Parts: sequence; C-alpha cells; structure tokens
Amino acid sequence: MTLSITSVSAAPPGAPRRIRMPAGREFLLLVTLGLLVAGISAGSRGAFWTSVNLNNLFVSSAITAIPAIGMTVVILTGGIDVSTGSMLGLVAAIGGTCFAAGWSLAATIPVFLATGAALGLVNALLIIQGRIPPVIATLGTLSIYRMLVFVVLGSNWLTQIPPALTTIFVMDHLWFLPVVAVIALALLIVAALFLRHFRWGRHVYALGNNEEAARLAGIRPNRIKLTAYVGLGLLTGFAALLTLGESPMVQTSTGSGFVLQVIAAVVLGGTELSGGRGGMLGTLLGTLIVEVVNDGIVLLHIQPFWSGVALGGVILVAIGASSRRHVMENQA
Amino acid sequence: MTASGFDATRPILLLIMLVLALGGFAVGHPGILSPDNLNSMAVFGVEIGMIALGQTLVICGGDSGIDLSVGAIAALSQVVLGLLIHAGLPWLPAVLLTLSAGLVLGLVNAVAINWFRIPPIIATLATLFGYDGLALVATGGVNIDLTHASPRFLAIGQGYALHIPFQLLCLYLPLLLLFVYAQHFSRYGRALYLAGSNELAARLAGLRVARLRGAAYVATGLVSALAGIVGAARLGTARPDAASHANLISIAIVVLGGTGIFGGTGSVIGTALATAVIAVIDYGLSYNDFNPIYQAGMIGSILIVLMLAENLVGYRRSRTR
Amino acid sequence: MPHVELSGIAKNFGGVHALKGVDLSLDLGRTHALLGENGAGKSTLIRILTGAITPDSGSITIGGVQHRFRHPEDAQEAGIAAVYQEPAIYPHLSVLENIFAGREITTRFGLIRKEAMAASVRPWLDRLELSPDLLEKRMSQLSLGYQQLILIAKALTQEARILIFDEPTSILSASETDRLFAIINRLRADGRGIVYITHRLDEIPRIADQVTVLTDGRVTGSAPMGDLDEASLLALMAGRSSRDYAEPLRHRERAAGPPVLEVEGLGRAGYYQGVNWSMPRGIVTGVYGLVGSGRSEVALAVFGAMPAHSGTIRLEGETIAPRSPAEAIRLGIGYLPEDRKLQGIFAAKPLEANLTVNALRSFGRWFGLDFGGLHAEARRLMQHYAIKARNPATAIGTLSGGNQQKALFARWAGRELRVLILDEPTRGIDIGTKAEIHHFIRDLAAQGMAVVVISSDLPEILAVSDRVIVMRGGGVVAEASGDAMNAEAILAAAIGAGQGARAA
Repeated sequence: MTLSITSVSAAPPGAPRRIRMPAGREFLLLVTLGLLVAGISAGSRGAFWTSVNLNNLFVSSAITAIPAIGMTVVILTGGIDVSTGSMLGLVAAIGGTCFAAGWSLAATIPVFLATGAALGLVNALLIIQGRIPPVIATLGTLSIYRMLVFVVLGSNWLTQIPPALTTIFVMDHLWFLPVVAVIALALLIVAALFLRHFRWGRHVYALGNNEEAARLAGIRPNRIKLTAYVGLGLLTGFAALLTLGESPMVQTSTGSGFVLQVIAAVVLGGTELSGGRGGMLGTLLGTLIVEVVNDGIVLLHIQPFWSGVALGGVILVAIGASSRRHVMENQA
Repeated sequence: MTASGFDATRPILLLIMLVLALGGFAVGHPGILSPDNLNSMAVFGVEIGMIALGQTLVICGGDSGIDLSVGAIAALSQVVLGLLIHAGLPWLPAVLLTLSAGLVLGLVNAVAINWFRIPPIIATLATLFGYDGLALVATGGVNIDLTHASPRFLAIGQGYALHIPFQLLCLYLPLLLLFVYAQHFSRYGRALYLAGSNELAARLAGLRVARLRGAAYVATGLVSALAGIVGAARLGTARPDAASHANLISIAIVVLGGTGIFGGTGSVIGTALATAVIAVIDYGLSYNDFNPIYQAGMIGSILIVLMLAENLVGYRRSRTR
Repeated sequence: MPHVELSGIAKNFGGVHALKGVDLSLDLGRTHALLGENGAGKSTLIRILTGAITPDSGSITIGGVQHRFRHPEDAQEAGIAAVYQEPAIYPHLSVLENIFAGREITTRFGLIRKEAMAASVRPWLDRLELSPDLLEKRMSQLSLGYQQLILIAKALTQEARILIFDEPTSILSASETDRLFAIINRLRADGRGIVYITHRLDEIPRIADQVTVLTDGRVTGSAPMGDLDEASLLALMAGRSSRDYAEPLRHRERAAGPPVLEVEGLGRAGYYQGVNWSMPRGIVTGVYGLVGSGRSEVALAVFGAMPAHSGTIRLEGETIAPRSPAEAIRLGIGYLPEDRKLQGIFAAKPLEANLTVNALRSFGRWFGLDFGGLHAEARRLMQHYAIKARNPATAIGTLSGGNQQKALFARWAGRELRVLILDEPTRGIDIGTKAEIHHFIRDLAAQGMAVVVISSDLPEILAVSDRVIVMRGGGVVAEASGDAMNAEAILAAAIGAGQGARAA
C-alpha cells in the first residue's frame, strides 16, 4: 500500500529497520477479546457465563471458523473468495433437498462435502484457467450460486432436517464443548500444522509473499491456488451442514451476509489481504471477537441491529490503527 | 478534440447486445416494446445505474478501488429521509439534507481509505456493516411509510416528464451527462485516469492522488444517496434493507461496461450501456414470469462469460505473437 | 580453458540494442569484475546468464558443453546463481524457509524436515561466519546486508559453481563490505568462479583478478588486474573512451547568476546529513555520486516527495518546506525522476496526456479542460524536442525508450520553472538521443533556469555541467568547476579513493 519513491536505492545503509514482535498482533487481539468478555460479563451480570450462552457462542463461532480456515488460506495466497455465503446457501439447499427426499444423514453428509468442493472447484477454474481476478470471478459466482438456490428451492422452505444432526453436532458435548466446536478446533489445529510444517503450507506463504519468485523457484502457483479454493469450498459445504444443525431450516436467504462475517474474522485476525502474512491463531481470535461482539449485543439487550455498527467499527479501528502505523513508520 | 481515455470497443459491443436483447424479447413477446414496458425497464435501471456511475470513478482511480458500501449508503440515506419527513420537515429540505448525509458517508470511506490507508475492500466492508446497522438501529428494522408524503416528493420516483419517467429524464440522464463530462472532459477526470494508471508517476507529476480518489468515493456516496431517495419515492417507503445487492450488481455493471478493475481505464458511457443491457434483460426475464432474483444470477453469468471470452481471445493472441 | 564462455551475445528490447555481441569468459577460481554504468547492459547480461531471459543470438558454453537456458532452473542446474543488490526475498518467511523455498526437504508425506534443512545449510553458514540462530529469524527483520549473505548461503546450498554479485556493496556498510570481500575471496579459493559487478573503483584492486568494462552494450576494455595500476584503471573506467559526446562543453562556462535554490544542513536519518547545495540560475550544476550517495533523496526532499528531517531549503531567499510534489511545482520546482517506467510514464496513455500531466492546471477552463490547447501544446513539445511519434494520441508505451525519455524531459522542460532537477536524464537510451537531450539541457540553462543534473554517468556530467557537486555516503564531498572538473579527480572523490579528492 505504501509507495516507494526511490526505486534504486530503496533502503540505504544504516537505515533503521522495523522490527516487530511476531506475536504482537495476536497478543493485542487476545487483550481485545479479554476486554470485550470482561465488559460483557459485567454488563450482563454474569449471563455471559451461563452454559446456554456459552454453548450458543461456541456453536456460532465454530460455524464461522470452519470456512474462515479456508478463507485464511485463500487470502494467504493473495486471493479472495466473496461467494462463500451463496455457496453455503446452495449447498444447504441441495443437501436439504436430499434430506427432504428421505436420505439418511450418513448418505447426505458426502453430498454436502462434495457439492461444496465442486463449487469451490468452479471458482478455482475461473480464477486459474479463466484468469479472471478473484474478486470479479467470485462476485460472479456469488450471484450465480444465489440464483441456483432459487432454482433448487423454488419459493419453498425446507424444514425436514433430521433432528439427529442437531443432536450430534450441537447438543452433544465432548468435555465441555459442543461437538461442532471440537471439530472446528481440530480443523484449526490441523490447518495450522499443515501451514507451518508441511511443504504445501510453506508454498502457500511463499506464493503470497512473492509469486514471481515462487514460480521461478519451481513452486507451482496454480496447484496451490486450486487446493486453496477447493479446500474453502469443502469447508463451506461442511459449514452448510452445521448451519442446518444450528437452525434446522433452509430458505432462499440462507447464508447471505455470511461471507462478510468470515472475511471480517480473517482480516481482524491479522491475515493481510495482500497475501503471505497471517495465520490460523489470528483467525481463531478474529472469529471469537466477531462472535463475542454479536453475542454481547444480545446479552446487553442492545438492539440487535447495533451488531453491524459494532463490527464495522471494530474493523475500522483495528485495521485503521495498524495501517496508519505503517504509513507513519514509512514517513518517519 | 480528444476526450480523455475513451475506447469505443466495449460500448459498441454493448450496443449490439442491447439491440439483440431487445430484438429477442420483441420476437418472443411483441408487447414488450410498448412505451409502458420500456418505461418500466428504465425505472428498473435508474437507481442501480446511478450507483454504477459513481462506482466507475472509484474503480477507475486504481489502487484496487472498490466501494462495497453503496447499497448501505442508499439504505441509510433512505432511512434518514424517511425520518426527516416524518419529523415534519418539508420534502425539499429533507432531500437536500439526505444528499449531504450521503456526501458525509462517502467522505468517511474516502478518509478511511486515503488517509488511514485501509485497503478499500476492507474499509468499505466495514462501513457496509456500519451503515446497514445504523439504518436498522434508526428504524428498529421497520419500514417507514412514505405514501402520505408530499405528492411532489413521490413524483421523483413515480412521475413522468414528457411521457418519460421523471427520474430517468430529469435525474439519471443529467447525472450521466455530468459524469461523462467529469470523466472525459474535465481536469479532474484526466487526472483521475492518470492516477489510476500509475500512481507514483502521477504523484511525482504533481497530481494530488489521495484527493482525486477521495473525491470519487465522496461522489459515489452522493449518487448512492440519490439512488436511495429515488427508490424511496418510487415505492413510497423507506426500507433499512433497501438496495442490499447494489454493491455486487453495480460492480458487475461497471466491469461489464469495460472498466478494468486495475484502474486507469474505462468509461461511464460503457457503464450506462451496460446498465441498459442489464435493465432490458432483467425486465425481459420478469416479463417472462421469471423470478426477479434471477437478475443477479443473470448479471453474474454475463460477467463471467464476457471476462472468459476476453481473456481467452487475449491469451490466444498473446501466444501466437 | 575458461569454465564459462559467452560469445556474441546480443539482445534487443523493442528496437533498443541492449547488448550488441558481447564476449565474456569466466574461469573457476578467479574473480571477474564487470564495470559499466546503468544502461550499459550489465543487468541484461546477468539475466541472460541466469536464464531469466533468452538472448537473440550468441552462445553460452559451460565446461565445453553448449547450453541454452529456457528457464532459471536450467541455469541453476548448470551451477550458476546470482545475488542481486535488491534481494528477491519472501519478507514474511523465516531465513531457513527463504533458503529452501521450492526445494524443501520433506518426509514422504510432505512434512517439512526442518532439522535436515538446517543441518544441510549449517556448514555453509559456518563458512560465511553466520550464526545458526539466524535461521529462525523472519527475513524482513534482517538488514539488507544480512539478507544478501543469506542469499549467498542459498546459492551455495544449490551447489553453484559460478556466483554473480550484482553491485552487492551499494547497500552495505563498510564492515559488511569487508566481510563480504573476505567471503568472496574464500569462495574463489574454493574454486568457484565469481562475477563481480560494481561502480566502485576502489573495490576492484581488493578483489578482482580480471576487469572488463561494458559500454552501451559492448565490451570496451578488458585486462587482467595484474596489468593495471590505479591510473590505468581510472583511465579505463573514466574514459570509457568509445563514448563521444557531441562536443566538450566544459569550456563554455558561463557566469553563474545568484543562487535560486539553496539547501542548508539538510538531513534525513539513514539517507543523508548536513547537505549544502547552492544552485545558481543560468548554469547547469552536475551532481555526481554513486547509487546510495543520497543524491536522489536530497532532490526528492526539495521536490516535497520525501521530506527531510532537518535543515532548510530556500528558494530565491525564501524558506520553503514543500510537503508534496504538487506544492513544489507550484513554487516553480520541477523534478524528472530517475526510473522512467515506474516513476515517469503512463504507459497506456496517449503521448499528449503524458506531456501535459503537470500542466493541467494551466489548461483548465473552470472545471473543464481546453483540449484544443492541450493538443497544440503536445504538438509544440513534440516538434521542439523532436519526439518521434505518429501523433499526440499515440500511447507513450509504444515509443522507443529514447523518445519516451525525451517526452518526459519535455514534460518538465516545457513548463515555466525556476529550478529543474533532472535525475539520470539519459539513462538507458541510445547515444544520439543522449546528445540531443544534453543540448536541450544546455538551452534551458541559457534561458535562465537553474538546472541540476544528477547522474552516475561521469562523461555525461562532464559534458553538460558548468560546475559539479560530488556526493558520497550521504554528504557533499567535493565541488569543482572550470579546470578543476577533471574526470579522475571527480571519480576519486566520489569513491573516496586517493587523497586528491578535494578538488575544489
């Protein structure tokens, strides 16, 4: 974002170099989260810590976090996918139709995952083979997927969702966490491990840092991008399933507005849109902040409509403060 | 006389598409080309068309310029207008105040992006949340009924001038002319183009890049507010959830109209033609008893097919060279 | 027999002959210094040698086998690696990851074997006297000097036999430079071939075995170091004797007018400090200095593009502090930036828009633009400065480099200015156009403007300037005019060699 005026001698000898604490951002997020939780528990007279509320919080966090994992990888490669919400709606509509046709839970889960992966593949092909900029390509599929939701659903609502879905993922607990939250955590950890310790993950970062250098070093950018978008599709498919567990109903608006929530979580978590920087711990914290803000608004009996204002404000302040700092440092 | 940066290829392509679309529908449903129907098509296109004009400037200014908050600005402005009218303000001052509100909302985007250096997609995502939220907060999520507002106000969205919808003849077309002038014939447009195509060179040639880009966001806030006002007058109601897909549709229209998303190219003329194409196809589909939601899907498909076609042709060319 | 033999290498870029048949041989166990100014074709030669671009003609023979590099990987296979002055790095990745990007050592399942990678690079780190603790650091935390050493380690792990250093010391401190030289000498002793590209004459005796000078895409001199003493080296480099500008202009010295632009004690941490400039009207002042001497940065401060931290700038006696180029231009200061593509042209836009971008204000009619006037102005500039293009609507990017440069020059020369600073006004263009631009520069001064020419091309400085300011390491080290303006003395001052530096 910042301009380098001197192209030849950009960094002179002895210029002070910026050194940042690697964990600085995560620490800041943790403090923010702590303050939010403290404020909300004080304001709600302890209602925050009831098991019902924590359960809701963990379930909704998990449903945001799972696609956010995929979104983090996509953004790390230097791309973006804005179709996630529509994709979630379409997968839910197709899966819900299977349920309505009497398919069992076990038979339908693969449908959710496969549909998600296939839709992710469409995005990937448009971006890689079609060479359409990611924003534009997924903007297009966003509206197409949403249209297909209508094709699948007509003007019906689907409500024949097997109750087992809710029981298994939302009601049942492992230790003190709902199953879906445990799954989300597990996925986050696996994703973090893959990003940190596997060749694929390091190539994701290399690509986002310097695509040209990566290509010259023999890394194949297209393969990495393919896995990123298909992975996001797969996770979105899974999130669609979980959404039906949280509230057993599919309607034409299912998933609208969802992508903004996901991108907000990832970006708040410190993953930079320019790629190559950020990670899963940040995404976890970003997701929790987004969801705690939403939860707090309910608990504090604030009009629910304030949630958007609060979220927008948090993003502007958080990103604005850090971007502005960059500008200052470059001028100083 | 040479205008700044005008390339006629895409507009001609769009004109052909427009004629084909009109012709196609005319063959299927001869009644569709009646004045009434044409007027309805126009009304369809006017509001999103206004927003797309502003969006064109934003994208043209470069630095991954994009405004996702346009629909939210339209909705919030509509709400402001509704509240002002309900508070007993005469319609004209209410409209003017609403327009200045739009200006301020656009200014917030401009400052966040050009002063605080937040990437445009993030900044306007945040203000999208914020403005939408404020609209809901201000109304409690309930629509504000404006059917009893002054008939003069309602005429903005329902009236006719010379048998042509008022908002088309008296608002959109003058606005279009103004934007064409600003983009292709003014100092501002020339400077914005150059800033969009090479920011560093522009700065070192003495252009004030941040101001140029900021002005585009402010202008977009203004036209989005105007679109919100027209919508409120057309439906006789102010809805906090109005124009919720305006960001996606307006961006699609801009790209369809030939403006490159990397800045420094394109024209509001292309944007206007793309708006017309979209309005016709949209109306034709509704006329054929399609569900109105197909509008967005249709636009998305056209967008992708067009981009694919261009890229594939371009790729072929660059490989054979 | 030389290990690597280049013969008849030629390369054109859109009609510009960057290389016109270059022969070069590289031996193992020797350091070959390659000299030449910007635009002489050094970087093109290096890109060919590393497989980043393919030559139009000529052959590359390595160890007796003819090679044709289609991809950087091919050159890597053949044992050639380059370390650039601006390292191409992954800023947010660790040092270890930077070294192994794309060549990670993993288990069968793709799990990174960090220990194995660290183990395989450690001997090389020892060789370079680098601490193994560095491997865990984020690349962007390191200074450029360290980044460079890391890239050397990377090249060594790739088992490179020929290592190319592209002006490696331009960004290094003195102690970093000493360490680098020690390393280079050790690598040479190991039996690797070294190509060392530089501007700095003082470095050559310290490390070179063979010296080759490249001028305008040709080899214009080559000799073993043993045959050269300081005087003959200076002559070889300063003369670059094939260069023949139209006429020696030095004798046309004009009476300097009162100073228009004065800079006093200007400083910016890390770039320059205590800089004093005084630029009189009516003459051309040359500013000579190597890359990194602070010359462009001082100009950018005067132009409001990169503010100074201390000191004052005065324009015709009045203190000014422009905070943006727009402000500086309004005060009557112009600046032609050094990088044509990045900082100068709007490639896809018409010539007319490129020529008039900084004059839009004077062609404004209220909110609108006087297109007729713009067009006429463009035509006038095209004619006056002999810019060859079909018409003003031609996209500037389609013109030759020389015509692009003339257009950028005309952009500023056509304005009413009090001071015009030209930064590398003729970089990378053909010699005929250079002479034309030099002529225009003289004309501007004759009309009473204070003209400043910043250049790392010494013959150019001598050809256009009435007086010269020499900068080194962020400060002014010498001033000369008249007979004191001799090539050897200026060069010596700029590189800090010898004691005859203070020619003024």
